[in-house]
Amino acid sequence: MSSFWVDALFLATAALYLGASILFILFLMGRQHASDPSAPENEVRPLAPRLMALAAVLHGVHIVVFSLALHICPVEGIHFPLSVVAMLMGLAYIAMRRRYRIDAVGAFVAPLALATLLASRFVGGGALAPSTRMKSAVLPFHVTMNLLGVALFSLASASAILYLVQERRLKQKRLHGVFQRLPPLDALDRAEHRFLLAGFPLLTLGILSGTLWAVRLDADTVADLVRAGFGYGTWILFAGVLLLRAALGWRGRRAAYGTLAGFGFAMVVLLLYLLRGNTGTVS
Amino acid sequence: MILVVGISHKTAPLEVREKFSANADVLPAVLSRLAARPELSEVMFVSTCNRVEVVARSRTPGEEAGLLAVNAAREVLREHAGDARDFDAYLYDRTGEEAVRHVFRVAASLDSMVLGEPQILGQVKEAYEAAMGAGTLRGPLGRCVHRAFTVAKRVRTETQIGAGTVSISSVAVDLARRIFGGLDQSTVLLVGAGEMAEAAAKALGKGAKSMRVVNRSVERAAELAAHFGASAAPLDALEEELVHADVVVTSTGSPHFIVTKDLVKRVMRARRGRTLFFIDIAVPRNVDPRIDGVDNVFLFNVDDLEKEVAEGQKARHGELARAETIVDEELKGFLAWVRGLKVQPLVVGLRAKTRGVLVAELERTLGGRLKHLPEADRAALLQMMESATNKLLHTPLSRLKEAAASDDDEQLAQALATAFDIVPREEEVDSAPSGASEIAEVSVGAEAERVTH
Repeated sequence: MSSFWVDALFLATAALYLGASILFILFLMGRQHASDPSAPENEVRPLAPRLMALAAVLHGVHIVVFSLALHICPVEGIHFPLSVVAMLMGLAYIAMRRRYRIDAVGAFVAPLALATLLASRFVGGGALAPSTRMKSAVLPFHVTMNLLGVALFSLASASAILYLVQERRLKQKRLHGVFQRLPPLDALDRAEHRFLLAGFPLLTLGILSGTLWAVRLDADTVADLVRAGFGYGTWILFAGVLLLRAALGWRGRRAAYGTLAGFGFAMVVLLLYLLRGNTGTVS
Repeated sequence: MILVVGISHKTAPLEVREKFSANADVLPAVLSRLAARPELSEVMFVSTCNRVEVVARSRTPGEEAGLLAVNAAREVLREHAGDARDFDAYLYDRTGEEAVRHVFRVAASLDSMVLGEPQILGQVKEAYEAAMGAGTLRGPLGRCVHRAFTVAKRVRTETQIGAGTVSISSVAVDLARRIFGGLDQSTVLLVGAGEMAEAAAKALGKGAKSMRVVNRSVERAAELAAHFGASAAPLDALEEELVHADVVVTSTGSPHFIVTKDLVKRVMRARRGRTLFFIDIAVPRNVDPRIDGVDNVFLFNVDDLEKEVAEGQKARHGELARAETIVDEELKGFLAWVRGLKVQPLVVGLRAKTRGVLVAELERTLGGRLKHLPEADRAALLQMMESATNKLLHTPLSRLKEAAASDDDEQLAQALATAFDIVPREEEVDSAPSGASEIAEVSVGAEAERVTH
């Protein structure tokens, strides 16, 4: 496969994400409906989600084509995780947007997907195949579970951020200005909880398979231990958010902060993986 | 000449306006009385809480006829009000261009008490349909009112005149939407059963999943609850009721807080953190403002709601200039159309003459050398002749209409009439096969000109 097609797919995907980002942000700021106030308050016009869906599909094609060109499995490499997370996040958002009535979350997801796609190109120092020592059947499973989990946690976090914005506006009685089209508070809280619920079993499987893999490789360097520590921290935080909600009714603001803390830990783990990849050594 | 005679919230208090109003039962009779007046050729009667207006067109052109038509409309209105008092001081009238502008502004809600409110358009449409049904609106006035709908649509879609919330009940509904996504899955709890609770029940009860009323007097609570299909409970059951409610409206006359922070904390534990939204419309307040600090509890009191109403109104008034520009544009378009009407007799005459000559020639040929032609071929030739007439006249007629639209048609019209030896007369129009609407338009051609001046 020529690099022309790989680059063309990359550019087309980035352009579509950019277009969707602009439309979603205009919608969130209340500009989209300026010419059509009769449109439903919290529903974005179809063009934005369509662009987003097309971008996610092209993104998937780009990943497949690029991995074929490089003879590397996306979930085994170091180069792709960010890209795969962005694509999965986009697809999950499109699938759940209407069900959870969270159109405005697209204003976070689309730019995040664009930024992640661009980062996947320029961060990580190129495609690196895992070393022979790392080759294992557990690895693709571990990476896949974690990537799916991170994609869903990204959506939970985007919902949590919008929840906090909307909650603050309501508490301060500031209902005008930008952010006119934020989803209802309860819809954001519900979406955040459900994305978390869906992502948590995947994260659990990712953590378990990671532990198994690390034990098998005798991973005991400081970097390995720090990474593992943040990984377990992520799991504990998300487990705490879910448990406290079920047992004590911790929802809303507290759940949103917990979700963001857990997502922060997950990002640290991802960052540590990427930085390791950036050194050019995969161990 | 198009004219408007009416009374509105700007000129008269409610007790005067209500004497002029006409519900659906009375409307046909009022329309008949108006239509029976020889001074009026088209009429429509608009009756809302804030305005009652006769929108009409005088039967003959001219200032004098316009004045007579205005007086006729005033007389019918006075008869309809059925009161000996002189209401003339409350009535206003508009004629010609100003009347058309008024109709456009009313439909677009630019003359409403609450700027940008959407109900007026529906009410004008109802009046239009009633007049159409009664057959009192068949000419340019009908076109004018129809154009007013376009104006209203443009104003609503191209400006933010309808954005924001401008009444306390609509603010409350909007807030419930921002928190719960709507009331359809919410239980509304009214604490208090007075007039304010009743108003809240009207605003919120319709869309809610269920409604409960608690009050110190259970009988009064039951009475209000029965009226709105809700259920009632005594004030002692407030804590239990709060556990199950989503939106709480408090409006008791209590001089102390009846919803305290401790109570809300207990309730929130029992609710396992589910969101609770308080609207405190009581003065003095019923809800301790400190509850706003409790997670997942939201409180809006009268001041907060009124602030929102003021914001909404401010935003709408900011859109007024853009809306007026749209009205001006549409008015210009309508007046251009009206100007076009005055050349309509010439257009019809020109078309009839050209077609008449060509068809006569064709029929002579078909009766002679082409006698043998079958019916299908004859029909085809006739069709060809019709097309040729239309194509031949397309350019001169377009130029004539363009000139008329810019009120610069006199020379061209004169030249065409002389060149083709046509004397445009309304009688010619009546016999022209141009369709009923065109005939109706042509019959008012001369007077339509007056609207523009």
